[in-house]
Amino acid sequence: MTAPRLPVAALALQLAAFPSRSATAQEAPPAKLAASIRRLFGPGARVDTLRVDSAAVLRLSRGDSLLGFAEVGNVIGKDQPITFLVAVDPADRLKDVDILVYREPYGGEVAYESWRRQFRGKTAADPIAVGRDIRSISGATISVQAVTAGVRRILADLTAWHQRGAIR
Amino acid sequence: MVPRCLSLIVVSLPAFLAAQERTTVGGYGEIHYTNRSGPNSPGQVNLRRFVLYLAHTFDDRLAFRSELEVEDAKLESGEPGGEVALEQAFLDYRLSERITLRSGLVLPPVGIINETHEPPTFNGVDRPAFDRDVIPTTWREIGVGVVGTVPAIAGLGYRLYLVNGLKAEGFSAEQGIREGRQEGKEASFANPSLTGRLEWARPGLKVGGAFWYGGTANQDSVLGNGTFAAPITLVAADARYEVGGFMLRGVVASISVSDAQAIDARYGGTVGSRIAGGYVETAYNLLRSLAPASSQRLNAFVRHERYDTQASVPIGIAKNDSLARRITTIGLSYKPTYNTVFKGDYQLLRNKARVGEAEVLSLGLGYQF
Repeated sequence: MTAPRLPVAALALQLAAFPSRSATAQEAPPAKLAASIRRLFGPGARVDTLRVDSAAVLRLSRGDSLLGFAEVGNVIGKDQPITFLVAVDPADRLKDVDILVYREPYGGEVAYESWRRQFRGKTAADPIAVGRDIRSISGATISVQAVTAGVRRILADLTAWHQRGAIR
Repeated sequence: MVPRCLSLIVVSLPAFLAAQERTTVGGYGEIHYTNRSGPNSPGQVNLRRFVLYLAHTFDDRLAFRSELEVEDAKLESGEPGGEVALEQAFLDYRLSERITLRSGLVLPPVGIINETHEPPTFNGVDRPAFDRDVIPTTWREIGVGVVGTVPAIAGLGYRLYLVNGLKAEGFSAEQGIREGRQEGKEASFANPSLTGRLEWARPGLKVGGAFWYGGTANQDSVLGNGTFAAPITLVAADARYEVGGFMLRGVVASISVSDAQAIDARYGGTVGSRIAGGYVETAYNLLRSLAPASSQRLNAFVRHERYDTQASVPIGIAKNDSLARRITTIGLSYKPTYNTVFKGDYQLLRNKARVGEAEVLSLGLGYQF
């Protein structure tokens, strides 16, 4: 049986049905999540939600072709959760990172495109470490460290799950 | 068949962005050892700062942040030194993704250190002397303002606050406007002042410009009763750049005290009519060459500060050349993690009059979490 095709608006409802990975996790606003998916995978992509361990992975496809996967993550900055999305292509290369909700008084520079752009094309084999292949932003160190670690973890998970067939 | 988890039928819809109240505790601190050259100057150790960070989030829009500081470990009546003070205490209301309203005890966004002062973020055991005598860090005043990013230009952010003003009676020759700060303690609002900042950031680079403008007369009729009586104007610029293992930073500031003559006549101080200067600092992470795979850092740095709290003096005030200071600091910062640091440095304190010059050896540790 195949999953029914979901309009993007239903995506949020679908995601909401999954418990988040961390006890302190915050949800992404549905409109922001939908806009992010649309920007990364184009309009009208089919969105299915796969459940692996306790995580909800979005599977993006159009017709018979797989477009990639995405996962929403949360990391704690100075004291607030930063909600972000990591999207990968079918070859497990990172397509992009989107900051969905930023709640801290300082450090919002992690949402800047110029900073997020550094993650594009990364694979789980890359260090993805601040000061090595990711440059920091002065005055935003804590958020930069937190988001970088979060992206590295999610990319590693998605890659491992994809390679062992838990998502396909 | 691909295993799919179907969940179209959502029995109960969890509220999105539901208010999730949480309280967070954090902190930062620094302990210093300093030894000044010369006879009768034994080394001194001091728990310079111990700061508790306490924050509470009420819902997705409204949050409270505070920093409570103990300086010099303890406070005892009749003894000099020691301070317990609130460094920050404000409520943030997130109006939209781009605009946050802020009210409370806030940090004027001037220079680098005033807003970003956690010890692991700067080289050198103590903050630059410029950030004591010219920009009076940690500078905090009570007011309201907006914080956000400019939609049209990627990477451009701003902060703008209306806060209580400074009091001219605290101004001095040695430390400029420093003791004119009110710091949230029964502060007079006779001279509301404006302070703000524009900054542009991209990975590895941040440049900013900031200002403060406001009266300082505090309704002292000798200086004037107007809101902007005896005004000071501060303009500052700063830059931070990282490339490879190199880190460069610099700050310049100029403060005009328009009615310095009247202020000096009224309060007997000798505050300059212009206070100006800056510093540049270059650092290199030695582990970049020695251990490229390490996430630890060992920064070797040199900083040169040059400032004069009497860059100009009003007519009738004799300029004190010992206030034209030149400070060179060389040292090391070892950071086992990005938020802990062990520091050591050697400072050459010089001035134009060549009076009271000294060398200072310092060691220290710092943390933030």
